[in-house]
Amino acid sequence: MIRPIRAATAFIAVSFMATSAFAHSPLEATEPVNGAVVASVPTELFLDFKKDIRLTRVTMTHADSTSADMDLGDSKGFTDKFTIPLQDFGPGVYSFEWRGLGDDGHPMTDTFSFTVSE
Amino acid sequence: MPDVWSIATILAKFGLYLGVLTAAGTVFAAAMFKLEQYRKLALGFAVVGLVSSIAAFSLGGAMLTGDASGLIDPEMLGLLWSTPVGTAFAYRLAGLGLIVFGVMLKRGGLLVSLVGAIAALLSLAQIGHIPDRENIFLVSALFVHLAAVALWVGILTPLDRLAQIPDALKEAATLGHQFGKVAAITVPLLIVAGIAMSYQLVGSATALTTSGYGQALLLKVALVAGLLGLAAANKLRFVPRMQSGDPDAAAHLSRSITLEWLVVAIVLATTAILTSTLTVPT
Repeated sequence: MIRPIRAATAFIAVSFMATSAFAHSPLEATEPVNGAVVASVPTELFLDFKKDIRLTRVTMTHADSTSADMDLGDSKGFTDKFTIPLQDFGPGVYSFEWRGLGDDGHPMTDTFSFTVSE
Repeated sequence: MPDVWSIATILAKFGLYLGVLTAAGTVFAAAMFKLEQYRKLALGFAVVGLVSSIAAFSLGGAMLTGDASGLIDPEMLGLLWSTPVGTAFAYRLAGLGLIVFGVMLKRGGLLVSLVGAIAALLSLAQIGHIPDRENIFLVSALFVHLAAVALWVGILTPLDRLAQIPDALKEAATLGHQFGKVAAITVPLLIVAGIAMSYQLVGSATALTTSGYGQALLLKVALVAGLLGLAAANKLRFVPRMQSGDPDAAAHLSRSITLEWLVVAIVLATTAILTSTLTVPT
């Protein structure tokens, strides 16, 4: 039985690698857009999803600092557009990780970032 | 590499598929072939299914918060409960619960377990990316697919046990022969339903080879083809030899079933990956 078990292990390892070919982002657009370089820190972050989603958590990391939860305010329902207040941490890379639930019950997550120039 | 929660979700889904399909299949096989000893088997796999279902649901909460706090976060779990995933979870708990309850009953238990087996399978037909399309045809195809898979998986262990008892050679041969006749109908149905769903979900030959989902699906098909080969050998070679009283054939059948279990486990693992982290190509 050793050989089939080894083959199974190898197969499962390969399968996990195959999952890096992840799905498309359910995000239609963000403002600032992913990868953008902007001159000043915007006061708000805008997320536009392709389908209704309930955002459950958005964390922001500025440069090398530790990440912090963003205030999602009262947005408790399923909707496709979110505006989240953004704090000014000065120049550098602002990275975001969002998590949410589609109305079909599927958890979703993705990341994006933009840079504020010196 | 997916994060730790995705990996845990895949493992929980694997347990869920194994538990639900084998428990339901054992009950189907017991009803169809009048098996006497099915209770412990059905009970054991129903418990595996229950534990894995609860873990998978709870992990849904962790996916929403990104950390362990979500596992028991009432707000996150309540949110999940309100979606179709929550409805499927409720069906699954009720179905598996009925299987367990039926197994405990002295009389009429098999009927109760049968209702539970159908409810538990229906819960699997409700989830995934398939109901997105709100297509009654796909849900029916998935149910037929799952029922045929369940019966196939459900017969493996009872048949293996009989084949290992030297005095039960005749009985094992009869069960193998009866299942072979039923499988001649259910296995083609399984394949047709699988092809119909793949066509609806993947849609093109290009998507089949280029998307992660399509590639995982191809792997699954290749594995099932191997399984079919093993099953055909059982049906066409070992069972007829057992019927003519050859005890060596029973040992062959038993080994073949062990190998079948291994392939089934890999197929279910692939399916768990397919349904957890990969989405259908758009």
